Amino acid sequence: MITWYYIITARPRGAERILIMNEYLQQLLDGKIDFEGQKLVEQIVKITLISSTIFSFLLGFALQSLQVTFGIFALSVIVLCLVVLPHWPVYNRHPVQWLPVKDKKTT
Amino acid sequence: MHTIYARINNLSALLSSCLMVLLGAVAVSSLLFTVNPTAEVVVASVQVVPGNARRYAKKHQEFAFVNFNVTADLTPLFNWNTKQLFMYVSAEYTNKQGVANEVVIWDRIVRRKEDAHIAIAGRNKYIFREMSTSFRNVPPANYTLKYNIMPYVGLLTYGEAGRTLEPVAFPEQHQLS
Repeated sequence: MITWYYIITARPRGAERILIMNEYLQQLLDGKIDFEGQKLVEQIVKITLISSTIFSFLLGFALQSLQVTFGIFALSVIVLCLVVLPHWPVYNRHPVQWLPVKDKKTT
Repeated sequence: MHTIYARINNLSALLSSCLMVLLGAVAVSSLLFTVNPTAEVVVASVQVVPGNARRYAKKHQEFAFVNFNVTADLTPLFNWNTKQLFMYVSAEYTNKQGVANEVVIWDRIVRRKEDAHIAIAGRNKYIFREMSTSFRNVPPANYTLKYNIMPYVGLLTYGEAGRTLEPVAFPEQHQLS
């Protein structure tokens, strides 16, 4: 993963710099996360969406206001998108450990 | 779930299900509010006047003019899922041929709870005439105040708030001098 640190310190020029920026943007758009992160994201999405549905209905019913219901629901969906969609470092803490390459001559 | 697109897909799939459940719950919740508002409908006078049918100059027809008083408190009908109320006064009678008629003679749209206290001395907004062109020998009519509740989410519901205590007879034709 290319970091901003690398971009700032190495100070590549011209075409090289554009290539690095492109790669960074590509990573941002792909937003790849590891398997543990995927599991975590799925749980967060399920729990948040279902509980916010129930909570917004109950609060709106208690206050007798549909505005409250759909306001809370929309707000929680926006927050959920911010939490879950980008590839935050939390979701990349368990990278896949590949086995070492076997030496062909010994086998 | 490994890329951002897969996550968007997964989230929006569950989101649409949750939204449908929420809308369904809101629609069902309005069934919990069962109120029967009462209204007083009094017909002050009915006049029957001869005239010409609009489209056919030579066809003579009778028109009824109704003055009525309506007092009602429809505020209980406003709950969290009520967008607006449509209320109307209709005349119900069975004519000589035995056909049951319901003629809407006045209506109003109530958008706010504050406007749902009704105290009106009104007359018919819409032309009230008989299909057989004459009100002679037509049995007395009942005048009712009915309403439709238009919800934000859910089904349109009908209701009757009140009606005249006794049917009101149509008078003889009143000649305009």
